[in-house]
Amino acid sequence: MLLRILNYLNEHSLMLKRIFFVFLALFVVFDFSAARHAPHFFGDSIIGFWSLFGLIGCLGLIIVFKGLSHVWLEKKEDYYDK
Amino acid sequence: MISSTVLIHPTTWFLMGAVLLPLLNKREKLKKTVLIGIPIIAFTLIHWLPDSFGQVSYLGFDLVFGRVDQLTRVFLHVFTIMAIIGCIYGLHVKETGQHIAAFLYVGGSLGVTLCGDYLTLFIFWELMAFASTFLVWYRKKRRSIDAGFRYLLVHTAGGLVLLAGIFLRYKNVHDLSFVQIATNGATFADYLIMIGFMLNAAVPPIHAWLPDAYPEASVTGAVFMCAFTTKTAVYVLARGFPGFEALAILGAIMTVYGVGYAAIENDARRILAYHIVSQVGYMVCGIGIGTAMAVNGAISHAYAHIIYKALLFMGAGAVLEMTGTSKLNELGGLYKRMPLAMIFTVIGGISISGFPLTSGFVSKSMIIAAAGESHRIGLLLMMTLAAVGTFLSVGIKLPYFIWFGKDSGVKAKDAPWNMNLAMGIAAFLCFFIGIYPEYLYKMLPFPVNYHPYTSYHLAETMQLLGFTGLGFFIMVKKLKPKPKMNLDLDWFYRKGARVFMRFASRPVLSSDSWINDVYRSIGLRLTMALAKAISWFDWEGIDWTIDGSARGVVEGGNRLRSLMTGKIQHYIGGALALTFIILILVMLV
Repeated sequence: MLLRILNYLNEHSLMLKRIFFVFLALFVVFDFSAARHAPHFFGDSIIGFWSLFGLIGCLGLIIVFKGLSHVWLEKKEDYYDK
Repeated sequence: MISSTVLIHPTTWFLMGAVLLPLLNKREKLKKTVLIGIPIIAFTLIHWLPDSFGQVSYLGFDLVFGRVDQLTRVFLHVFTIMAIIGCIYGLHVKETGQHIAAFLYVGGSLGVTLCGDYLTLFIFWELMAFASTFLVWYRKKRRSIDAGFRYLLVHTAGGLVLLAGIFLRYKNVHDLSFVQIATNGATFADYLIMIGFMLNAAVPPIHAWLPDAYPEASVTGAVFMCAFTTKTAVYVLARGFPGFEALAILGAIMTVYGVGYAAIENDARRILAYHIVSQVGYMVCGIGIGTAMAVNGAISHAYAHIIYKALLFMGAGAVLEMTGTSKLNELGGLYKRMPLAMIFTVIGGISISGFPLTSGFVSKSMIIAAAGESHRIGLLLMMTLAAVGTFLSVGIKLPYFIWFGKDSGVKAKDAPWNMNLAMGIAAFLCFFIGIYPEYLYKMLPFPVNYHPYTSYHLAETMQLLGFTGLGFFIMVKKLKPKPKMNLDLDWFYRKGARVFMRFASRPVLSSDSWINDVYRSIGLRLTMALAKAISWFDWEGIDWTIDGSARGVVEGGNRLRSLMTGKIQHYIGGALALTFIILILVMLV
């Protein structure tokens, strides 16, 4: 039962992708209607601020840390054994 | 009266269990009853604890074994629940030694939570470090043995700093009671104590022991370890050091540091270990901000975190147990073979990411909101960035590369029933706390005036999580796991120590040989003369008096040798019996 659902979802990844984008749009639309009590700083009063923060933050984290790893931190798994 | 005081302390029960377990080696059913029964007894017991018990005056010190207030209760509550879950998860483990180590470890942690003075705290603190080392060693791989030794050494060093702080504090104020320290009156001694606590909370730069040791621990050992060491440290920090600015800043750095490493690591359990650093960062930061709401948030986050992090470690442990690996580059497409473990781990993943209706949503946001209300925008943004990274690495990356992605063809089946039951209970609690946050909020030490389910908070969270997901799928090729490891600050004592040894060995060697030469030419002659004199004295005077006792020592040595069976579980059992006897003696005298 569970397996069948998972298999079905796995085979229809394009459909999932579309649903995902619809949801993303809905989240931003929902932000228009959200009541803003006592904003903590300027970002709290901009609509869609957290969408941008999420996307840029995510890409930034990956680029910075993958970059650091690539040029400096990354070593073979037996680095300490030698 | 005295015996009832001993018996009401939950640690006593775990110590008794640890003594009992080796005797039940042959009787599986009874052993399992003890394994489940004792955590349940402890969980029941903590609801009946008086506000204060077990005061002992010993060598002029006032030891307090039981000090119970709201802060103690909430930690005891989650620790004992976690003990039940962990014991169910480890029910199939045959080695009694692992269970004994886990019991001692939990007992130590409860002892720290309950104690009211620094001496008692230190004793239980060291019991925890000592017992948890065995949880690493029981993996029985070369790497775990090494990692266990490093773990023990680092914690010994931390313990010594703590002890130095305690001694200095005693010298300054002649009082060992463990109470809140005022931010403006803190002395060098207090900072030493704080550093000792921070080492166990894995605050950078003294955090590297955690991602070093936890991935090498045994499958069930890691589940216990992820819950107790760091969260006991959060408890003592919340008790002693709320409002310290250093904690607020270091905590916020921790959150980002942890997720950054989690994004680049390959081993599932190492990713989760870095996430402990990150998540404990929220708690440390909350304690550092120090307002009632922030401390409440830190404590509720500790509560929620223990459950979902254990759930994640149980899921990754189940994969390791069934497939023999936890490296992402060797896994993939496992959803067909381990669907139950997948569902539980994903529940853990969405809880840690703070999805609405899960426990992370109602606890993490409280700390972030508290940062906002104290106008700490820098801290707020760092913690929110860490939340993005959390969802990226544990919410998506981990499940994606274990259960989906490219099918690796690794053979596996679903884990034993007891593992699934333990994961099921933890998963249930994640949702339960998320849906009924009042259950958690009413246990907190300060009255709660915070409502997580506002439309703005929902909008904020869904946008953050949704667009993080988008970011992941844009960069998914970059994130493909590789069989590599990343340097961290443990480099300094793993590689640096060798460099130091190479440098140090030359002067040490040359001075050693010089001393040898001196000794050979002068010392030897002197010694010979001295020996002659002593032997005369010995022959003439002492021999016949000492002879009898010497024979006694030889016999005693032989008897002792027969006790040394070479089996580690016997040693722990013996050490434990001794500790227990001393404890009882101290309580009774």
